[in-house]
Amino acid sequence: MEAPPVTMMPVTGGAINMMEYLLQGSVLDHSLESLIHRLRGLCDNMEPETFLDHEMVFLLKGQQASPFVLRARRSMDRAGSPWHLRYLGQPEMGDKNRHALVRNCVDIATSENLTDFLMEMGFRMDHEFVAKGHLFRKGIMKIVVYKIFRILVPGNTDSTEALSLSYLVELSVVAPAGQDMVSDDMRNFAEQLKPLVHLEKIDPKRLM
Amino acid sequence: MQREEKQLEASLDALLNQVADLKNSLGSFIYKLENEYDRLTWFSVIKVPSVLDSFALLSGQLNTLNKVLKHEKTLLFRNQVIIPLVLSPDRDEDLMRQTEGRVPVFSHEVVPDHLRTKPDPEVEEQEKQLTTDAARIGADAAQKQIQSLNKMCSNLLEKINKEERESESGGLRPNKQTFNPADTNALVAAVAFGKGLSNWRPSGKMPSGIKTNIKSASMHPYQR
Repeated sequence: MEAPPVTMMPVTGGAINMMEYLLQGSVLDHSLESLIHRLRGLCDNMEPETFLDHEMVFLLKGQQASPFVLRARRSMDRAGSPWHLRYLGQPEMGDKNRHALVRNCVDIATSENLTDFLMEMGFRMDHEFVAKGHLFRKGIMKIVVYKIFRILVPGNTDSTEALSLSYLVELSVVAPAGQDMVSDDMRNFAEQLKPLVHLEKIDPKRLM
Repeated sequence: MQREEKQLEASLDALLNQVADLKNSLGSFIYKLENEYDRLTWFSVIKVPSVLDSFALLSGQLNTLNKVLKHEKTLLFRNQVIIPLVLSPDRDEDLMRQTEGRVPVFSHEVVPDHLRTKPDPEVEEQEKQLTTDAARIGADAAQKQIQSLNKMCSNLLEKINKEERESESGGLRPNKQTFNPADTNALVAAVAFGKGLSNWRPSGKMPSGIKTNIKSASMHPYQR
């Protein structure tokens, strides 16, 4: 059966068009404690939150050259949490004054049969990984510091291997489209993490 | 006369506010010194109490105080005179309230400290000594000394800035490095499009026990 036509336009349809603003960096394992310490001082006062997630990335190959990508994420340490389905659009490049990477973003909570549903729709899993780390918040900004683990046997989240000797650090905000001052706030926050971590706008296409 | 009165009141208010802020900062600094002395450091990059932070705050507030005093709308307090009219050894409840319990009595012991306009005689003597010493050197020598001090300070500042810039790049000093840009790229690539994650994708390390044919026929869009 032919795959149904897939649209690349940002998903709207009655809901507000949300964008994700993103800055990324990394920190070596031995400097993690200093970074956590600093984040605890800078961020909202809350119980330190850790997470252990399993993310699977699904592709739907349509007639277009580039496939449609959906990300399915489940919590491995919080039983009963809904699964998280996420669509991320192509980063909007071009504006050099904007300090963060901006892309269309749709987040949906789903039930546990998400993967079955996606497979039935024609998606195929492209890659998966385990993410283990810490979560902080400052106002609408979310800061995650996590280690990525490669899954050695597909589907078996018990046998994993760290991908690198560093933790990925991401500063993100999900806000309605057009709120570009958000990236200024993000840049100011990122300044406070220097020189421990350099958060910057990284274009993934450069790394392919 | 009435305008002057109003001005006096306004200037006094501004002065009182500034002094109150200063008092609070001093109070919290003293508290820190007395209670958190084991955790106190001169300078810290992270948000723990540091002595330099307190100094900076106090210096800023003193500056603002000076600005308030020099402001053109501020009455010249020098032209005002305060004379104690009644001194008594009895407790004054009003005064207690106004000074937040610090001055219970308006007596002969309290007045010389609170209404002081000149420094202590010893301090005055020391200041006079310093002024005569300074005058003795002569204008030219003094200028030379000022210049050499300025030059030394700017040299030192330059050295410090250079050191800070070098360590900020994160790569030059291995023991101070806190992040590795190559790792950043690898992690971002992994999260963005799975580079290095799947077994059947060409990656740096081949997991043992899983022999896959990398040249398999999957037409993966990301494959190079």
